[in-house]
Amino acid sequence: MAETKNFCTTLATYTIPPVSIILIDLLFYIPRSSEIWNFIRLVPFYTGIYFWSSQRSDAFNGITAFLLGLFADVMSNTPLGINIMTFLFLYFLSCRLPSYFNIKKFSYSWLLFAFTILITISFKFLITSIFNRMWIPLNATTLELMLTITLYPLLASCYIWIERRYIHLEDRYEKI
Amino acid sequence: MQRQRVLFLKENYVLRVLKNFFLAGLFIIALLLILVHKIDISIVSGVTQGIMYISSPLIHIVSLPAEGLSYSYKKLSEIMHVYEENEHLRQENSELYLLKDHMRALQAENRILKKLLHHIDVPQTRSYTARVIAENNNAFSNSLLLYLGSASDFIKTGYAVVTPSGLIGRIDIVSGKYARVTLITDINSKIPVVSQKSRDRGILVGNNTRKMNLIFPPLMAELHKGDILVTSGTGGGLPPDIPVAKIKRAGVDTITAIPLFSPSELEIVKIIAYDIVPDKTTSKELE
Repeated sequence: MAETKNFCTTLATYTIPPVSIILIDLLFYIPRSSEIWNFIRLVPFYTGIYFWSSQRSDAFNGITAFLLGLFADVMSNTPLGINIMTFLFLYFLSCRLPSYFNIKKFSYSWLLFAFTILITISFKFLITSIFNRMWIPLNATTLELMLTITLYPLLASCYIWIERRYIHLEDRYEKI
Repeated sequence: MQRQRVLFLKENYVLRVLKNFFLAGLFIIALLLILVHKIDISIVSGVTQGIMYISSPLIHIVSLPAEGLSYSYKKLSEIMHVYEENEHLRQENSELYLLKDHMRALQAENRILKKLLHHIDVPQTRSYTARVIAENNNAFSNSLLLYLGSASDFIKTGYAVVTPSGLIGRIDIVSGKYARVTLITDINSKIPVVSQKSRDRGILVGNNTRKMNLIFPPLMAELHKGDILVTSGTGGGLPPDIPVAKIKRAGVDTITAIPLFSPSELEIVKIIAYDIVPDKTTSKELE
């Protein structure tokens, strides 16, 4: 019985982060009234990967980032591999930077996210441009970057709520 | 005690190195996927179709309540403006009656001239209606997701997708009852076009913005601001004479054009099936 419970808890720990990211992203696909929504369709992925890999590295790994990238590539019609590489790069940075700076305050964490996402979107801009052998529009990329940074507190709060509600570490240890 | 701690640290170090190797492996796989996509191997479209098969119904279900709300709002506003709309339609109708007579005369004349010149007609087209369930227009790609319903068996990759304004894109992938459309503004879109006025040819290339570039125009091309570009039908992929874009700037080095469709009208679209050589599916459907 205890083993089954343990298995279920471990399964939940690994599935809740990607499932929460995908579900929030699906919500971002609903409105088509304004063009601005087109620039924030990938924001749940960026914030989610940053949040889960920096806050709960035990529940989020490279394979999850890879699979989310595959899903995002298909959904957004980008060439297969572009978002996978971007998300793996973001995962790599998110695992290392927050622990390196040892940040406690949310405002500093937001600032670090802004820095991380700036590097990540620049990386994506570069590989997409190389792939297409043409510079992709810088204005639209900048807008996407700005919107991603602006929406971080809102989406991070959602992920914090999900983490506390379903896979909070203390709860987990108590159950085990 | 000291020794145990050292061993623990070593184990941690090995694990970290292994993790880094694993991550590097995933990076290499992603790079290979990009390269495979570039050389267009069928396995990639298989993977894409598989993921689309799962994700498209999910998007459709999630978008249903919003679609319902939007439909109700539209109907309400239509009811509110019904008298003005009616007056406008009456005026338009009387103008169209005059045009109809003129068009009939032209059609008859056209038929006689074609017969005299032994003109070969372009293959007949069929059309299907589809509903847009999601769109994705950002800096990295411009695409739509369509719900095809029962028409899905007859839709193939490459078919033209149009609105009353003109061409909006081409079918990229069909998976189950859903299809993905690459818009003409997408960076991967290249449409052979011809100027409606001067008949100068060129290729309209998207760049993920509303401003598209016309490449390879003739040296002495007579292209001006406001000229309409239509599909040339070159290559047999698209039917000829579908309006595509309007020239915005005709410079010496660069010619830019803007698409005729507006993003707000992407709700219900028409798919034009056009096969120069009908295959088994088309023949079956025509039967």
